Amino acid sequence: MINWQSLSSRAAVNKRDILALAALFVIIFLLPLLFAQLPLNVSHFPEALNLHLRQPIDQFQDWVVGHRATSPAFVYFFDPVSDAIDWGIRRAEDFLLGTPWPVILLAAFLLGQWAGGLRVALLSVAGLVFMGGVGLWTESLQTLALMLVAVLISLAIGIPLGILAARYDRLDSLLRPVLDAMQTMPAFVYLIPVLLFFGIARVPSVVATVIYALPPAIRLTNLGIRQVPGATVEAARSFGSTPRQTLVKVQLPLARPTIMAGVNQTIMMALGIVVIAALIGAGGLGREVLISLQRLRVGQGLMAGLAIVFMAIILDRISQGFARQELASTNRGAGRFVLLPQSWAKFGPARALEGLLQAGLRQAAAFARLLADGLASVAGAGLRLFGLNDAAAALASQFRRHSFFIGAVFLLAVALAVTAVFPAGDFPQAWQFDLTRPVDNAVSWMRDNLYQIGDLPLGTGPLSDFLVIYGLNPLRNFLQNWLPWPLVILGVTLLVYLAAGGRLAIFSAAGLFVIGLLGMWDMAMDTLSQVIVAVAVTALIALPLGVLSARSDAVELTLRPVLDLLQTIPPFVYLVPVIMLFNIGRVPGIIASVLYALPPGIRLTNLGIRQVSHSAVEASQAFGATGRQTLFKVQLPLALPSIMMGVNQIVMMVLAMVIISGLVGGGGLGLEAVTGLAKNQTGRGIEAGLAIVILAMIMDRATQAWVKRRQKYLK
Amino acid sequence: MTQPKSDAQILCKNVWKVFGPRPEQVRQLDAGLTKDEILAQTGHVVAVKDVSFEVQKGEIFVVMGLSGSGKSTLVRCISRLIEPTDGHVWVDGDDILAMSRKQLRALRRHKMSMVFQHFGLFPHRKIIDNVAYGLEVQGIKKAERHARAREVLELVGLAGWENHYPGELSGGMQQRVGIARALAVDPEIMLFDEPFSALDPLIRREMQDELLALQKMMHKTIIFITHDFLEAVKLGDRIAIMKDGQVVQIGTPAQVVMNPATDYVREFTKDVPRSRVITAQNVMQPPPVVASPTDAAEAVAQKLARFECVAACVQDEQGHFLGLLPREHLADPPQYNGDDLQSLLVDDCPTITPDTLLVELIRLTMNSDAPLPVINKQNRLAGVVDRSMVMAALATPAEAADSEEKPTLQ
Repeated sequence: MINWQSLSSRAAVNKRDILALAALFVIIFLLPLLFAQLPLNVSHFPEALNLHLRQPIDQFQDWVVGHRATSPAFVYFFDPVSDAIDWGIRRAEDFLLGTPWPVILLAAFLLGQWAGGLRVALLSVAGLVFMGGVGLWTESLQTLALMLVAVLISLAIGIPLGILAARYDRLDSLLRPVLDAMQTMPAFVYLIPVLLFFGIARVPSVVATVIYALPPAIRLTNLGIRQVPGATVEAARSFGSTPRQTLVKVQLPLARPTIMAGVNQTIMMALGIVVIAALIGAGGLGREVLISLQRLRVGQGLMAGLAIVFMAIILDRISQGFARQELASTNRGAGRFVLLPQSWAKFGPARALEGLLQAGLRQAAAFARLLADGLASVAGAGLRLFGLNDAAAALASQFRRHSFFIGAVFLLAVALAVTAVFPAGDFPQAWQFDLTRPVDNAVSWMRDNLYQIGDLPLGTGPLSDFLVIYGLNPLRNFLQNWLPWPLVILGVTLLVYLAAGGRLAIFSAAGLFVIGLLGMWDMAMDTLSQVIVAVAVTALIALPLGVLSARSDAVELTLRPVLDLLQTIPPFVYLVPVIMLFNIGRVPGIIASVLYALPPGIRLTNLGIRQVSHSAVEASQAFGATGRQTLFKVQLPLALPSIMMGVNQIVMMVLAMVIISGLVGGGGLGLEAVTGLAKNQTGRGIEAGLAIVILAMIMDRATQAWVKRRQKYLK
Repeated sequence: MTQPKSDAQILCKNVWKVFGPRPEQVRQLDAGLTKDEILAQTGHVVAVKDVSFEVQKGEIFVVMGLSGSGKSTLVRCISRLIEPTDGHVWVDGDDILAMSRKQLRALRRHKMSMVFQHFGLFPHRKIIDNVAYGLEVQGIKKAERHARAREVLELVGLAGWENHYPGELSGGMQQRVGIARALAVDPEIMLFDEPFSALDPLIRREMQDELLALQKMMHKTIIFITHDFLEAVKLGDRIAIMKDGQVVQIGTPAQVVMNPATDYVREFTKDVPRSRVITAQNVMQPPPVVASPTDAAEAVAQKLARFECVAACVQDEQGHFLGLLPREHLADPPQYNGDDLQSLLVDDCPTITPDTLLVELIRLTMNSDAPLPVINKQNRLAGVVDRSMVMAALATPAEAADSEEKPTLQ
């Protein structure tokens, strides 16, 4: 077969582009005029074509509600599963809440020390103290318990599935689209069915979290095993290893870092859905955020949000610490700082403090070894009595090797014993601090003073008006009224064709038509207009910032903590002040989307430019190019795939926010989905959810296909 | 299929390996098509095409070819790491291709082990556990397998490195680990897939010498893959040269160097220091004048004169070599008693064996005009070598003009 694509010259491609642009012009400006002359009304998708999908869904829901107690699917499957999960959550919660708080703090410290050293240990303790300090101790541990259960279930399903997917290509290609769909679908879409099938207490929120957090566990396990070099696997086979031996002795150990990264991702994803899960009864911190959002209490929401952030950071560092442990153990030399930045080594006091800390840690380690040896000799003596000398020797070496673990268990036991004698009670009132009021005051001040600054056309109010009058309204009007629906489909299809080729174009056309069939056309156009504005605003901010931070380490270092915070903080948290500053409506949703989508946009632009091969930049400089010339002629073109990947991420994040915007007056599909959820109208919610998924898939596939094409050029 | 009569340890017969969606259909095509023609016509890549050879017990059999010639695929077909498309492989009379997975694993565990080009070490295991891997998958207890691994590590000169990780070792040391790992299971057969090509030239030479030294002790059956003709010549008892999936020539190094089968092979032989490959048995010729001690002196002298020889070789009735009889001794007999030539012999003349290298022959023939008798293990006269024969062997054969198959050596 001849690949016309590769044969066509650059000139031909340009010619095609020009033709397409001309066609687009005709579609957008001339054909609508023509359509206007026609006697038909084509500006709205014909109601006659509405499939009324919600009716069978609602009927099904009624059936489920009516037969929940009798249908075998529930009696023998969903209910037992629900009961098991419910039991798990209760046990985990009872365990965490039943443990005295000082013991929890000690356990967090030891876990942090074990995983990543003193820094992580102190960070963990600080985070927990903060949670207790703002009065969210119980809520935090509830969230932690739910998370632990959800993550354990995700890993128990994900890792074996990943292993199987690495082994069987067919399963892999079967799973791939399913995982894609799981990752692009807004969590709201499956909240409703999950609620329907697992209706017991907090079980639906666990199930929703598992669905959300499962894909990285599967993907990264699969990837990790597939990344093991073929030569290594071949060597194992050449010595007559069985497939199981190859897996256990070679593939899994080598895939461990990647699998651990998957575990880390799973934990992060699970934390990312904490607030949404609260919508269907998760409780804990998520519920705090939701309540304060409903009551517009910024301070309280912020505290709960920060508690979530802290939990995310702690869990992130601890799981990353475990992932890196193997590498660290070899180069963890004496004299390396355990707490302070290594660059402070030139300061005397820093050295003194570090020396002290290290001496302390050495003492603790020596004590743990002593303890382990002691225990081993006691246990060994017992074993020797029965003539098990080998077992005793093995025990001694095992104990010595795991002396940290033994010491930790010992310490925890002591702490438990002490708190049993002197009950610790609740997290001490005296340690609590109130940050809510100052935050609330600051936000009120901002609302009063920033909405309109003096009589000038400055402030959030005028900005909001500007966005609505010059951005959102005209665009929505254009999509809903000016362009007849067939032309919208035609135009989008043409654009997708240009970016990604024929197959995806057909898929897009079909997808848009389905949105119409679902009766979601007008709302989809409303949402689309908001998405386009949000993406444009985000890109306008993210791309220059990305370029700047690629060119200056100082900018990058300043931006990093801000972006970290934006990425870990649940968007609900900043939604509240945004609403107060911009009023209910479409604008706060857009602002929140922008904040949410900025980090990946900035990061990928930065990364793309920094990853441009040094030799290309050097070559450009060798020809005497200025910094600006190098940027525009070499770095940006080479970084384009990565930047487009950033745009893709921006689009996806904005789409993920559609529902949240719907909550705060954005209207469109988001509001429809939320209303469906709130009023228990499953059919309505699913229709809106499907429309969102279709929009997301079209935009995702089109941008990604474009990136891939571009990357091929650059190879 | 049972093995045809042969005492070879490894026997490959008409082995094919074709990569592509429907390999079996390629086999039906005319074997006369070239690799490129098959690729163009069917989209299949023929990696190994109708290859047959035998390897004797205790022999180093080198498969030499440039990249893409199919040599690595071929060696994997022998242990079925790659499944051959067609043909037969017998090891000690057992048909490898008929083996079940289990039998195949047993073969890989006990009889055959492999050393890889990029070492194929397990980066997450200590050296000792790398070496003990083959024993570990056999299910041997830790203490026992570690003891054996230590022994082998000592053998390859890596004692003391047991508890390091592969990443901490240099390339040469890593390949020693690779060799130790293959030796640890005490296999009869070892497959070496370009084991030294990733090493520096100096280290490579050192490793080659050590391999030869090891082989002197252990007498394994070795199939050794290389793209380096000099390495092939140095290590191989016999060499098979591959091109485009086919074996072009099989022979001892000297045979290949002296009589390259094609222009392609000849190109390789150009760079070979011939004096270090060719041996006496390749250049020797039958002695023109052979006498027995009872011959008449006059008759011998006449013969020598006729053949313009400076000396005759004298052997007894059993064919045992007795010594040289120089022409000048006959012309001017020092103490000739008339009936026995024995007294005229030079019995301490320099002699050589059939595997004396040409480089040695040069030195010896420089010093004497007399032919050098080549004496085999049974103390019989195998032939003679003189200066003119040495010179003829040293001269590179005329270059083939405009060969189409010029290999490109990087």
